[in-house]
Amino acid sequence: MNIADRLRLVHGSTVLTGREEIIPYMRDASYFGGKLPDAVIIPGSTREVAEIMGICNDMKVQVTTRGGGSSLTGSSVPMSGGVVISMARMNRIIETKPSDSYVVAEPGVRLDDLNRELGKIGFFYPPDPASSMAATVGGTISTNAGGLRAATYGTTKEWILGLEVVLPTGEVIETGGRTLKRSKGYDLTALMAGSEGTLGIITRAILKIWPLPEATGRIMAYFREIAPAGRAIAELKTQGMVPYIAEFMDRLSLESIRTAKGLEFPDEAQYLLLVDFASTVESLDRVMDRAAGIVRTFDPVSIVTTRSREEMEKMYEARKGLYSSALSQRDSPDEYVVIGDVVVPASGLPDTLEGIREAAKRFSLKVVLFGHIGDGNVHANIFADLSREEVRKNVDGFQMSIAGIALDHGGSVSAEHGIGLEKKELLKLEFEKRGSSFTMDLMRKIKSSFDPNDILNRGKIFD
Amino acid sequence: MKEEVEKCVNCGFCESVCPTLPASGFRSIIGARGRVDLGKAFIAEMNDSGVSDLKISESFYSCLDCFACLQVCPAGVNAGKVSGIGREIAAISGQHGLEKPAARMIVEATMKFLNPLGVREKCAGWAEGLAFNNDSETLLYTGNMYQLMAYSASLGKLKMRLGEKITDFMARIISRHPAAVRMSGMAVDRDMRKQMDTFLRDIYSLLVSAGLKFNYLGEDEPYPGTFIYDLGYKDKFLEYGRQVISIFRKHNVRTIITVDPHTYDILNVQYRKYFNDFDFRVIHYLDYLREVRFAATREKVTLHEPCHFTLRENNYSVPSELVSSLAQLTYPDRSGKRTMCCGGPDELLFGEISGKISEERFNQLKATGAERIITACPICYANLRKDGTVVDISQFLMERLKADEVPEPSS
Repeated sequence: MNIADRLRLVHGSTVLTGREEIIPYMRDASYFGGKLPDAVIIPGSTREVAEIMGICNDMKVQVTTRGGGSSLTGSSVPMSGGVVISMARMNRIIETKPSDSYVVAEPGVRLDDLNRELGKIGFFYPPDPASSMAATVGGTISTNAGGLRAATYGTTKEWILGLEVVLPTGEVIETGGRTLKRSKGYDLTALMAGSEGTLGIITRAILKIWPLPEATGRIMAYFREIAPAGRAIAELKTQGMVPYIAEFMDRLSLESIRTAKGLEFPDEAQYLLLVDFASTVESLDRVMDRAAGIVRTFDPVSIVTTRSREEMEKMYEARKGLYSSALSQRDSPDEYVVIGDVVVPASGLPDTLEGIREAAKRFSLKVVLFGHIGDGNVHANIFADLSREEVRKNVDGFQMSIAGIALDHGGSVSAEHGIGLEKKELLKLEFEKRGSSFTMDLMRKIKSSFDPNDILNRGKIFD
Repeated sequence: MKEEVEKCVNCGFCESVCPTLPASGFRSIIGARGRVDLGKAFIAEMNDSGVSDLKISESFYSCLDCFACLQVCPAGVNAGKVSGIGREIAAISGQHGLEKPAARMIVEATMKFLNPLGVREKCAGWAEGLAFNNDSETLLYTGNMYQLMAYSASLGKLKMRLGEKITDFMARIISRHPAAVRMSGMAVDRDMRKQMDTFLRDIYSLLVSAGLKFNYLGEDEPYPGTFIYDLGYKDKFLEYGRQVISIFRKHNVRTIITVDPHTYDILNVQYRKYFNDFDFRVIHYLDYLREVRFAATREKVTLHEPCHFTLRENNYSVPSELVSSLAQLTYPDRSGKRTMCCGGPDELLFGEISGKISEERFNQLKATGAERIITACPICYANLRKDGTVVDISQFLMERLKADEVPEPSS
């Protein structure tokens, strides 16, 4: 009996096997094309997930877990057939307890949906990857997603209090709990953050929540060069002014959002520095005036401040859609977008960007640069016709090169997109460069402790 | 299709707003991104070998054409358009397994009777005893839409009872013998017909109160052909639309007053696009009511904004303007550019999906705590009428027209 038939005996109609049904599960938001899985299953409870894992483990069948399918590094792409488990049906918010600062949610809840619900009681869950409209609680824990607000609030791992996880062998474990503090041996909750579905399947999460800021305001400063924008952020932080959001976009990014959303910018602008501050209603004007004063000393082409929720929302949406809308800047429909994601200490960002620009020229690639300037995270959208061998080589060379630049500046090869299929070599490079290759061996040992038959998302993070 | 799908980077934003995805139990191909992915795969196979055995029918036919996906796509991809092209491919192929037999049946019947169920004469019943100005160049055009709701609800239930195979079999027979479709005239929901007739009479009275004189074609009034277009039969639509235009010409029509969003949209957008000589003025009846004196109320109401007004090119917001000026209007979580379809367009072909969507939307509207839910489309009304609090905007306005006192709505 094949795996699909075995699963169907227990789970009937939620097992999909028709070719047209399972084609969409071969891809996520990355440029990787996977293999057609043998079956897709959409469970509705932890018990069902445990049963499925028990069957797959018995039959030693590969399992790939899928959340919102918004991974940018191929984390949720099935590479060797097997079973794809979609967590989409497990999408309930189970408990919201603002007095104890937590919400309990199933893995399939999309982040924007979660925040819409929390917003009704004046709270929010801070991690906000640009994909938050599609991205899910489970998926963003698995990639330790960051986002625009990470400059203030850090990445997902800072906001997970506890998890329920189904192990590859079918056991169900609980990690962490509902308290803000605990000290109880190895922190398996933290271990799950960034594990990209290789250790277990998250079936429930207890997440820390925070009161929404009373008021926010925005400074949009346009510059001819990136260096003064970087220095402006450094100065703000040095003076103790921590931005709520701090983003930068290059000229091509601005052109993309002009095409997509009709947002205009000054002709002479090459870069936009977008900085939000959160404060009380009474003090926001004072905070904004002080911050704008600091930014002005770095001689922007123009500077605009706003507290209009509508204006801020429009630009926020445009920024979040930049990965997709940047496609309007490609030179040929055969080109796809490969998105780079490196991070350096924020003060090293201007030099890093210069290095990335030079690398793009060296590899003859058209690249759109944007990212989270507040925490030194650069995204490079590379336009590439990946069907051409020489272009693929250039893309690989460029990715290796910008990883090297990030490492030289004390950074990392992946800030918030994870490793997936894309960055396995880069991860190896990072550990080698830091003289810590044994870390990779340790990761492999951890993986085999959780997953003795190596059935969960094999080939992701490392081979 | 290639042009549309190749703009997509597969980010998945569209899935988060697509009503059919959760209603299908989260089967990806019954969602916006899955439809685009299927379109990509279909094109790739056609390019490679000139043939594809992918069963695209269910995915593309189940799309509601609400265009919610387009509103959130940063790259401007319209999965609704991809589905429309997919249905055209199915229609052109005419193959079993690709083309939906019920789609073919509806189209053949419409072509023959100028009405999808062959009940054109019965659709004129609401106007009995009303006076019209036969010489007027202004036409009240119902497009049979309100009237058809009395049949579609019963037919949807019948289909659910008979199951897919039997209804497909019957649909194939009717496609070859379209006259048989008139049997569906027996499947009328009398309560619904009575309600819909009342709405139409209210619309008539509202227009009269606005001082308007207009004609009505009665039993000659043709259905506008929306199904033919939506189901992908473009050639048939061109032929059909020509007939509709001829009827308008024969009656010296200059201005067409529509009463529902689907007819308003297809005349204003598709007729203008496909027929160069479509030079009629198309006005929605609510436009004539802006200057009418209505009595305001303190009632707390919510409005279900129809996709074909809010998410389409027309972006018609008069229902919101009128209702908010007369009552305390509270919008549901999904409103404006995030409004959610009532599930109606799937009722006949995918009854179970349609039912789940309308249940979900009804719950969203109820969650506002409003005393009544106002709809502005007969399809939305028919699908959302799950208790006595749902009313058509014509009924609400008629009540406000008749009310004596005019209290200021409290803020």
